[in-house]
Amino acid sequence: MSDKARASRRPRITYQVALGGLLVALILLFGAIEPVFFYPDVLFDVTSIVGEIGIMALAMTFIITTSGIDLSVGFILQLSAISFGAVFAGTGNLALAVSAAMVAGILCGFLNGLIISGTKIPPLVTTLATMSLFRGLSMILAGVNSFSGFPEGFKKISTTLLFGVVPIQFIYLIVLFLVFNLVYTRGRLGRHLKGIGFNENALIFSGIKTKRILLLIYTLSGFMAALASMVYLGRLSSAKTSMGNDLNLQVITAVVLGGTSIVGGIGSMSGTLIGVLIIGVLRKGFTLLNLSGNVFNFTLGLILIVALVIFAVLERRKALAGRTQPAAKT
Amino acid sequence: MSGKRKVSREAILGILVVAFMAFLALTSNFDSKSGIYSMMLDVSPSIVGAIAMSMVIITGNIDISAGTILGFVAFAAGSLAELGAPAWIFIPAGILMGICLAGLNGWISVTFKVPSIVVTLAMNMVHLGFYATFLPNAGWVENLKDNFTWLGRGRFFDLVPYIFVIALLVAVLFMYIMKNTSFGKSLYAVGGNRQAAIYAGINPDRTVIKVYLVEGLLLGVAGILKATTANEIMPSAFQGREMIFISAAVVGGVSILGGGGKVLGAVFGAFLVYLLSIAMIYLGFQDYFQFSLQGIIVLIAVFVTVTDFTELRKKLRGTFTRAGRARKARA
Repeated sequence: MSDKARASRRPRITYQVALGGLLVALILLFGAIEPVFFYPDVLFDVTSIVGEIGIMALAMTFIITTSGIDLSVGFILQLSAISFGAVFAGTGNLALAVSAAMVAGILCGFLNGLIISGTKIPPLVTTLATMSLFRGLSMILAGVNSFSGFPEGFKKISTTLLFGVVPIQFIYLIVLFLVFNLVYTRGRLGRHLKGIGFNENALIFSGIKTKRILLLIYTLSGFMAALASMVYLGRLSSAKTSMGNDLNLQVITAVVLGGTSIVGGIGSMSGTLIGVLIIGVLRKGFTLLNLSGNVFNFTLGLILIVALVIFAVLERRKALAGRTQPAAKT
Repeated sequence: MSGKRKVSREAILGILVVAFMAFLALTSNFDSKSGIYSMMLDVSPSIVGAIAMSMVIITGNIDISAGTILGFVAFAAGSLAELGAPAWIFIPAGILMGICLAGLNGWISVTFKVPSIVVTLAMNMVHLGFYATFLPNAGWVENLKDNFTWLGRGRFFDLVPYIFVIALLVAVLFMYIMKNTSFGKSLYAVGGNRQAAIYAGINPDRTVIKVYLVEGLLLGVAGILKATTANEIMPSAFQGREMIFISAAVVGGVSILGGGGKVLGAVFGAFLVYLLSIAMIYLGFQDYFQFSLQGIIVLIAVFVTVTDFTELRKKLRGTFTRAGRARKARA
């Protein structure tokens, strides 16, 4: 049994190791072109620019493991940020504004979860539709305004540097990663998530309330998006309706690149973390090389497709070798 | 679905469209010549796009990159026309562009067994990045001349645009194809029950690739219809059209789970989506309400098509009265 388990786990570990190798190779590549990349403050800045993506990607790993998807996270982040800005501009009360952002995020996630667990509408269509809904809501809320002028104390939540070089986002990311990884690999919830991804009916028949789990993880995703919006706002210092527009794809790319199967059932939290870091390195590297955001998005889309293809090929080879079950049908 | 239903969903949709138009005509100046003309002008590309999207959705797939494919089509056709190419060159070129890009989506999705939603989502991003990075002048084509815009500007009897007639012809053609050809039937078979389709001798993978190719053809047509009505072409402005196509398809009764829906429904769906947006404008709502409205429409329409109402009624029976709840608790 243990031999078999080890054998089935081996290809997964090599994939994540290869991914780590890719990360190191990318850092070396950018460093070779632009030696300033090796400076500790530049290198650590990578973790500050992917703070918000990383926070959302952790919850997204849960969702994609259940063979679901949440396309609306970027716009939940936007709506949370706008709610924060609007309440802060209206009342000047920081605590009230933060709770407004949290409530907005949780409600959005709860709505997604309610629709996905309560009806037969697939997650992708639900979140595609709520994506437009949230986007419209934040535009209605903000109009043409953007909100800024947040207090210095608030900005500290994402501009603090520990020991002068380590951005505080790095600490957030590591702490949250440890918690999520523990739940994912050791917790009962993690096992249930993979079970839903493989065969939801089997779980229902063993008496597990899968609908409740789905409701929970989509709400969690909304909450994490609200957290991410705070971290993002601290760095950007102005809330406007253009923020978060292209974050969906970065989050999904990070998760899929990390080796979580898009058809569900298989996943890796550490892979997600490496995926997030790779995206950060690319973004920082592209900025240093003076390449525009469009080039970055183009590359990101290509990476997502290549990652999907590589992972699908690996899965098929594994399935052919008879070591694991083929991934669940979509 | 149930035997009780006598009036088809499409008939109801048709009545709704007519009623909606009558309502708009009574409450606003929608029935003026320019109102009718701009409706036909705006709804024609949506009709063709909605048919394309419906066929893909019927096989149980989706194409999020449809909007950005339109951008490529418009760019290809527009820039050829700018170089002085006549219609018999730029129209096939645009259509070929659509076929290639949509076919690529289908090929990747089928060959590597990756869900089409993720592939096309990524493609959406690749396309947008491509416009800005590689196309000259980010794909902007300005100063379109008569050799291109005659198609979009021309009208019969000074009222009916050429492109509206083209859209209707496409609709009739595809109503026939979906109903009477083996290709049309195989789409329903693959989307409805993949395993059964295999037993019936249909190759689902090939069918899906085929449907993407046909979708690309139709997107090519839709892109040219849309581009020829404009003065200039900005490819990135086409992003978001896919939501209109998807809304039109699901409002028209195409089941998002695959296997159900009709072309006629999608056509009426395209009309309804346009009329709703026009109604919003007449009612004085700001532009950005459209985003929210679109999301809500898709959710409601999908909910209605996906839910089994007889089962829901059974489940809900007695929930709202005290006696019913007591009976339920006993059972």
